[in-house]
Amino acid sequence: MFVLKEIGIILGGPQGAGLETSMAILGRALTRKGYGVIADREYFSNITGRHSYIHMLISSTKLPRSLGYPVEILASIDAETVFTHFKDVAEKGVVIYDKNQLDKNIDNVPSMEDYTRERIKIILARLGVNPTIENIVSYLEKERNVVPIEIDFISIIRKITERFKIDPRQASRYVSGLIVSAISIVIGLEEKFVRYGFEQQFRERRHLIEHNMALYELVYDSIATFRNIVKVDAPRIALNKLMILTGNDAIAIAKIIAGVRYQSYYPITPAADESFTIEKYEYNEVNGKAVGPIVVMQTEDEIAAICSAIGASLSGSRSSTATSGPGFDLMVEGISFAGANEVPVVITYYQRGGPSTGQPTRGSQSDLMNAVFAAHGEFTRVVLSSGDHVEAFHDTVEAFNIAEKYQVPVIHLLDKFLANMIASVPVPDIDRVKIERGKIVFSRSNYKRFDLSNLISPRAYLGADNIVMWHSGDEHDEYGHIVEDPENRLKMYSKRIEKMKLVLEETPSDIKMGVYGDKNPDYIIVGWGSVKGVALDAIEMLGDRIKLCYINMKLLWPFPQKEFLEIVKDIPRDRIIAVEHSHGVNIASLIAMSTGITIDRKIAKFTGRPITLNEFIEAIEKIVYRNEKRVVLAYGA
Amino acid sequence: MERKWDYKTSLWVDWCPGCGNFGILTAVVKAFEELGLDPSKTVIVSGIGCSSKIPHFVNVNGVHTLHGRAIPFAMGIKLANPELTVIVHGGDGDLLGIGAGHFVALGRRNLDIVVIMHNNGVYGLTKGQASPTLPLGVKTKALAKPNIQQAVNPILLALASGYTFVARGYAFESTHLKNLIKMAIKHRGAAFIDVLQPCITFNDVFTAEFYRKAIYKLDDDPSWDPVVRKPEEAREKLLKSIEKSLEWGDRIPIGVFYVNEYVLTFEERLNKRLYKYPAINPSNAAIEINGKSILSQQEFEELFKDYIVVVER
Repeated sequence: MFVLKEIGIILGGPQGAGLETSMAILGRALTRKGYGVIADREYFSNITGRHSYIHMLISSTKLPRSLGYPVEILASIDAETVFTHFKDVAEKGVVIYDKNQLDKNIDNVPSMEDYTRERIKIILARLGVNPTIENIVSYLEKERNVVPIEIDFISIIRKITERFKIDPRQASRYVSGLIVSAISIVIGLEEKFVRYGFEQQFRERRHLIEHNMALYELVYDSIATFRNIVKVDAPRIALNKLMILTGNDAIAIAKIIAGVRYQSYYPITPAADESFTIEKYEYNEVNGKAVGPIVVMQTEDEIAAICSAIGASLSGSRSSTATSGPGFDLMVEGISFAGANEVPVVITYYQRGGPSTGQPTRGSQSDLMNAVFAAHGEFTRVVLSSGDHVEAFHDTVEAFNIAEKYQVPVIHLLDKFLANMIASVPVPDIDRVKIERGKIVFSRSNYKRFDLSNLISPRAYLGADNIVMWHSGDEHDEYGHIVEDPENRLKMYSKRIEKMKLVLEETPSDIKMGVYGDKNPDYIIVGWGSVKGVALDAIEMLGDRIKLCYINMKLLWPFPQKEFLEIVKDIPRDRIIAVEHSHGVNIASLIAMSTGITIDRKIAKFTGRPITLNEFIEAIEKIVYRNEKRVVLAYGA
Repeated sequence: MERKWDYKTSLWVDWCPGCGNFGILTAVVKAFEELGLDPSKTVIVSGIGCSSKIPHFVNVNGVHTLHGRAIPFAMGIKLANPELTVIVHGGDGDLLGIGAGHFVALGRRNLDIVVIMHNNGVYGLTKGQASPTLPLGVKTKALAKPNIQQAVNPILLALASGYTFVARGYAFESTHLKNLIKMAIKHRGAAFIDVLQPCITFNDVFTAEFYRKAIYKLDDDPSWDPVVRKPEEAREKLLKSIEKSLEWGDRIPIGVFYVNEYVLTFEERLNKRLYKYPAINPSNAAIEINGKSILSQQEFEELFKDYIVVVER
């Protein structure tokens, strides 16, 4: 037995086996005890059978921000998990596996892709290990001092189905509870916290709490000798109340608080869950205060999603849509209309791997240029990104304020990593929430929607008393009627573009970017979105050797040139490193065109998996100590 | 004395002289006048094309949108503020070509919106290409070769999609058309009017002369009753209107094909889920108090308690 401040876990099994449920139960149970938790969910575009896994980090001292390898615990529901991840188990770690899978050969795992199988077979051959679970477990035990923990899944679950007279066809539902129990026992999480996890998860199906607790006891009896074998230290985080949620949920909740009352969407991974959550809260009363109604509209396509959101905004609703790359591409003409007609609307854009369908369930940051430049004609748009759940919450509110103050489309650019990652975070401070709706006119004769006397023409909603107004995608006059006169064109076209200056002047600096780390750094790392957590952990860990600072770019467009130049003014140009989950590390290009600074040190990852701490640190070392210019990362199954 | 509202704007109408759109514009203005619609609570939403310029000529709120997308814009406008009277205008290329998916979706939803389709068989503004309602083998003068694609039947498609008011008018039967528009606006649910419209410049086949000879009014037959008067009649009335919709060529019926007010409107469906909707709706629900969240910290935590974990020391 050894006690650790942090424990990494890979929990894997076939898609459909309830891994997401396991993640939710474990996450809540651990948070209840006061641990910090973060977990990434990796899965195929598949409903049943393909390999999926949870990569989790539990910390006793802080709210974790990044994930890394190796992990202390590999908890497998099936053989494929062991084959796929055995090499990522730490020395003296633990492998939990199903006894019934021991003689499984890698050639008998049909759900595994041939490419992956061949790759793993080569690794095993080099190690001189035959490709069966039994051999791998024995290799881990002998060569890596890993503790094998064998559980007879079939026999334990059969006891449960018999005791509670459960239809054996439903037996697989109990696998998630079994693996949660096993992990809890191994890390020394007390029974009451496990119970809490089940109680929260099965609030509406209470009989499952009893079944799962009985399951816990059976697993306990089966592996009691391994209790506390990789014990996580007692929690020392000074927070008494936390939220545990995915990025999708954080943004959904923020939208409700921001006052979104119309949300449209067409089903797409990894954005759809956000709309589901909003729909769950479509109408509520708290202390007699109505929250809603919120119309959540599943439209016939993404074109209808953006166009109806713009329509709802014209009627005076705060409105938004959520999508991913392929859906965003369909929305582009609508965004151009919103630009031309100065309509506030927020597009929450969760990037996944492209091009085309790409990697629908994997993450990426390869759509930066798409978000900033897609759509014909020139007009003001705002592209905002967020580095973590808490930022995403407050930025969501800010996105609507910016949209309404400047009457522009705002693209909130996020990614699949944030969307699906669960994290324990402090409860957002609601006093910080400001709702600014911009200049509004409720009644006026001879109203001109596009009044040229100011960059921001006071907005009236359709239906305002005594107001009649027009909008047109064609170039228009102050009333909104089609006009092709060159002088009008000059004024109207310029007005829409010049609003960009106001956005840059008036947006607070903390919405533009965050600067972390050393005040007088040897190197500056620049990134945005989901790079933040791993970058902050890396600069901390490398701090005693290399003085580093991280710039978390948030306002990506219009690019805050002045503030950026101020931060990098004293650093030699070859000591700036750009990082992105993409091939091109396109933030460097955006910086170059906005500031004239060229960055040629880059860290890129485009496998669809998040950058992990171990590989990020290695990459920085390669750049600093070996003068490498471009490091491409590929860690993770 | 208060001056009567002029439902016509003072803009010069830039359609070709003799265009069927003039007849439609006259009917729309007259219908609005007779219904006394509040111009600030009325919205015309249009797509792109000659016909879609109509909002600029009518003195009510106008939203001239994107090609094919008038219906989704209109849907957002109406769902957010159900108090508004929302009328969509578009051409046959707009609504049944590029925007056909939205046309079908509105029928499924039965949202209380009127769709008036200016049906001239051609794409006029781009110089006369064949539209989705031009029959197979027809060669209008702008086409290099006869049309190689079949026509879609707008009435049949509307019935199949679930529109609960389906009618056909003719641009130069202005009074008849005005009455159809008034009925469609008063109808609860998705209403569709297919308006046959000569294009004087590009469609030399389906001309005013052609229509003058071919059209007849469904009302002329006293036994024609398209209205579902009890729910169990719906199937029979639908079948009759489907059969009627297949008439084309020498004799083309105009008038009301089908009316069914027993189908729940989208607003009514929402009302079953969203307390007080449509009275309280996205356009008037309170979302802030003096620039702050309507919820206090404690209320926020109460509402989202499923996500909150209190640490047990």
